[in-house]
Amino acid sequence: MYNRLKTKFLGIEVKSPLVLPAGIMDMSFSGLDISARNGAGMVTSKSLTLEPRSGHKGPVIAEFESGLLNSMGLCNPGIVDGLAEIDEFKERSDTPVIVSVFANNTQDFIKITNRVNDSKADFLELNLSCPNVYDEFGIPLAASKNKVYEIVNAVKRDSELPVIAKLSPNVLNIIDIATAAEKAGADALCLINTVGPGMLIDIKMVKPVLFPKFGGLSGPCIKPVALKLIYQTYSAVNIPIIGMGGVTDGEDAIEMIMAGAILVGVGTAVYYRGIEVFNKINKEIIQFMDESGYSLLEEIPRLEKLENATQTSDL
Amino acid sequence: MNKRVTLTIAKIEHETKDIKTFTFYHKLDARPGQFIMLTDFEGGEKPFSISDCTENEFSVTVKKIGEFTTRLFSKREGDLMSFRGAYGSSFFISNTKVLLVGGGYGVPPLYFLAKRLLKAGAEVVVVNGARTEEDLLFDDKFKELNIKYINITEKGDLGKKGTSVSIAKKLLQNQLVPKPQLGNNNHPQAGAWGRENREKFDFLYAAGPEKMMKNLQKFTGDITYEFLLERYMKCAIGICGNCTVDPLGIRLCVEGPVLHKKLVEQLTEFGKYHRDASGKRIGF
Ligand SMILES: Cc1cc2nc3c(=O)[nH]c(=O)nc-3n(C[C@H](O)[C@H](O)[C@H](O)COP(=O)(O)OP(=O)(O)OC[C@H]3O[C@@H](n4cnc5c(N)ncnc54)[C@H](O)[C@@H]3O)c2cc1C
Ligand SMILES: Cc1cc2nc3c(=O)[nH]c(=O)nc-3n(C[C@H](O)[C@H](O)[C@H](O)COP(=O)(O)O)c2cc1C
Ligand code: FES
Repeated sequence: MYNRLKTKFLGIEVKSPLVLPAGIMDMSFSGLDISARNGAGMVTSKSLTLEPRSGHKGPVIAEFESGLLNSMGLCNPGIVDGLAEIDEFKERSDTPVIVSVFANNTQDFIKITNRVNDSKADFLELNLSCPNVYDEFGIPLAASKNKVYEIVNAVKRDSELPVIAKLSPNVLNIIDIATAAEKAGADALCLINTVGPGMLIDIKMVKPVLFPKFGGLSGPCIKPVALKLIYQTYSAVNIPIIGMGGVTDGEDAIEMIMAGAILVGVGTAVYYRGIEVFNKINKEIIQFMDESGYSLLEEIPRLEKLENATQTSDL
Repeated sequence: MNKRVTLTIAKIEHETKDIKTFTFYHKLDARPGQFIMLTDFEGGEKPFSISDCTENEFSVTVKKIGEFTTRLFSKREGDLMSFRGAYGSSFFISNTKVLLVGGGYGVPPLYFLAKRLLKAGAEVVVVNGARTEEDLLFDDKFKELNIKYINITEKGDLGKKGTSVSIAKKLLQNQLVPKPQLGNNNHPQAGAWGRENREKFDFLYAAGPEKMMKNLQKFTGDITYEFLLERYMKCAIGICGNCTVDPLGIRLCVEGPVLHKKLVEQLTEFGKYHRDASGKRIGF
């Protein structure tokens, strides 16, 4: 099966286009490993910060009809212990790893980058788009094309690994931001992070369900938003895109690919379909390929690019 | 989707100086070993094992330990709380001869288990261990069940000194034969602990401090067992990864908290370390 799903991402061969995204089942080497063993072609670490973070007080997650709302608060064991988990994973698996990192200023991103250089990770992903630490750090960096440019540019100078910029859907003009990242030297883009943020209310206790009040949306309800932003971005940039947001089955993954994604993240669907979700979707992609007469993944066509996609960009 | 339920606390019982049982009138579809995530929306949503569950009500039994549980202890009957669940795996319901070994707040979920085992026709032996007689949990409740029951304290204020593991060890090695209940007079000294009538257990269940279970594991031989384990839980729905155990990567909120022997034996972290809220490893 895997032979037909093989693809290349920034020169590295992956056995499946499916990626375990940041924040899902990735607090430990064993969480990464079980995802890889269940068919993920690539895995991402939790977004690591310089120091450990316990995250927000709960409830930090809430289920609703068509998705999840979360405000974990960037809990992670810190860059040192986090990279140790990744190295331990790499000792037992040849699945490529993206190390996701978070900081709120260029200096800290550089410090983290230098740590990552000494690890066994394959790619460095900059989480510029966490919507859940607004109280602490303010508006996500991904909301400003200048900040995105500044950080990606600085990290690129120091990083020995290819750099992926993870973008937020909660911006006025995704193309502005995406092209700023590309111009700054980003090797790839990852989108989308969670949408909103939004909220839910407990009507008996008259309280927000999430203790941090607001949280990012993920799951099926955000797929149309993700597809649109990925498609717009694909039309405007020449670097590969890891597309994600609400992918739950093989057909969703095909949509992402048609919108322009090279790799496809599957996060919240782990909740809906279990950790086996990667193998299930791999099979569903193959099934679609069989039905439609594609023998290899790369034969799946993309949408025609939007015309004048970059005309709104003024960088 | 697992719908969140917000309802009043129907009953609060003081079990010991730092343990209370909270009962809710709600038809909960739960099996022994499963847990709920409980919150008051004031900061903190925490996992608690179900300690009893009948047609129209269920309970959790909570030890006061930190911020959330301290606030919970200040609640009164009639106050609102919110929960989601029941979550996680449950104990296998055997109908053979079984041994239940509990310590600390691991004992209450074994009470729920004992009731379900009895219903299924199992022959149930329970060992309930605590530091002192005052710390002993659910002593009266177990005595009311049609089981063989041994209570034991480290202090020895019930007659003999020991732990639930030291008693379980003897039972498993056939050095001790538990006496059937004699009404409420279940003082261990009240009965004869004979060496005859060698008996074999078909299944062992345990819940309590991980050190206790790690100790108990040494005496399990080839008996099949299930342990109720705990790890730091946030989402409880299997996506955040905070509760995964090494090296298997299984999630204690989904594939656990009750794990079969075959899985426990593969855990390199069992009895050694766990991860805190940040994911950092902490030794036991
Ligand atoms: C499956 C499971 C079943 C449990 N059943 C019971 C029970 O029946 N009765 C009972 O009294 N306790 C039970 N616990 C432990 C209980 O969840 C913690 O004691 C409680 O969360 C403490 O919260 P706190 O704010 O009072 O203390 P804190 O000061 O926040 O923490 C004290 C200690 O409690 C543990 N803890 C805190 N938060 C969590 C969390 N989110 N998940 C897991 N452990 C945590 C940690 O070991 C921590 O060091 C169970 C835990 C799990 C995982
Ligand atoms: C519980 C949870 C935690 C997340 N944590 C992170 C994170 O630490 N860093 C990050 O870049 N994205 C994080 N995300 C966003 C996901 O990586 C992904 O972009 C988003 O959930 C959309 O994909 P999905 O609908 O398949 O889940 C998190 C998402 C969820 C649901
Ligand atoms: S608590 Fe999140 S995966 Fe178990």
